[in-house]
Amino acid sequence: MATTTAAVTLTSDLLSDNMSVTTSTTCMKAGTNADGLDQMDMGYIELASGTQKNLIDATALGVGKANKVYICNESTDETYYIAIMIDGMAIGHLYAGDWMFLPWDANDEAADIEVLAHTGTNKIGFACFHEGRTLLAVD
Amino acid sequence: MATTTATITINSTDLLTDELSLSSIATLTTAGTSTGVTQASGLARKTTSAASAAAIQANVLYRAGDYTANGANKVYVKNTSTTAAEFYTVTIDQEELGRLYAGDWMFMPWNATSGTKQVFTVTFASTWAAGETWTFDGITMTCPSATLALIAAEVHTLNYPNWTTTYGGSGAAVVFTARYASDATEIVYATGDATIVSANPGTAAISAAAVGSASESDITIRPSVHTAMTYETLLINE
Repeated sequence: MATTTAAVTLTSDLLSDNMSVTTSTTCMKAGTNADGLDQMDMGYIELASGTQKNLIDATALGVGKANKVYICNESTDETYYIAIMIDGMAIGHLYAGDWMFLPWDANDEAADIEVLAHTGTNKIGFACFHEGRTLLAVD
Repeated sequence: MATTTATITINSTDLLTDELSLSSIATLTTAGTSTGVTQASGLARKTTSAASAAAIQANVLYRAGDYTANGANKVYVKNTSTTAAEFYTVTIDQEELGRLYAGDWMFMPWNATSGTKQVFTVTFASTWAAGETWTFDGITMTCPSATLALIAAEVHTLNYPNWTTTYGGSGAAVVFTARYASDATEIVYATGDATIVSANPGTAAISAAAVGSASESDITIRPSVHTAMTYETLLINE
């Protein structure tokens, strides 16, 4: 099996005492600790302001799985941001430099992860670790 | 200015033929600026359990109405379980995001788009006497005197479990606003929903009542089993 680890460290001085949260997980298939996620898709796009697109499509093979999604807004202008949605439901805004890491069970085949760019052309890096996805038929 | 950073590293030596190493550091700022975020809730830890599988309930993690809408808020959640099959289902409004299996964590931006809150106005009139009462939401106001403005001011000083109040500083009217957004299935409040004890009698008419609309982005998590599971969470917000 493939072993993929995702670690996060959150640090801040906004409290009266320093805050530090660190954790790591090994990305496993749904409901097991013996078989790691063994497939991935990765990409980088530039998305013009006002454009809303599916970034990652939910497909039949991905429904109900322990998929993990990483998205980073690699823009550098602090006013640039992308709105993240799942099946049209607004999740949040990723501003320039922000990233997110989310479990995504692709609840149904409509549960695509969508992005809408604001302010300018945003640069978006992304990766999806999964158990499989249904490929498009040949045209 | 506070500096809050979030660092992620994703590594794998055997997923691809070449080693995968991905790393990103974000300095968390308020929306559209280079100013650091200034507020945080947590770190919190909670154990969920229920009497049986049929009694499992979703837990509201964060209510959108409590935070800045469309801010650069960030939410961290971890499932501390060590039993592989145990997971929390994370939902925003009615949209299921995903399942946090044992040991999994997530870090995501959050819009905190709230709905609108129910409101009404209560206006004190006619003849009240000191010591008479008006009761609403389980809270009883005892008139400090017969002066209507003082009665309204007294209503405003009390703490209601489900409502906040606004008083203009003069006059006999107090505006009640629900603490949380709710949908239009709620009743429209009327004068009879409060209890008046007044001999003369004084009146306290409720008017301008309007229902709200449901919040669109409360975050809820639902455990997969009724036995004890524990999650940790942190909100960094504007």
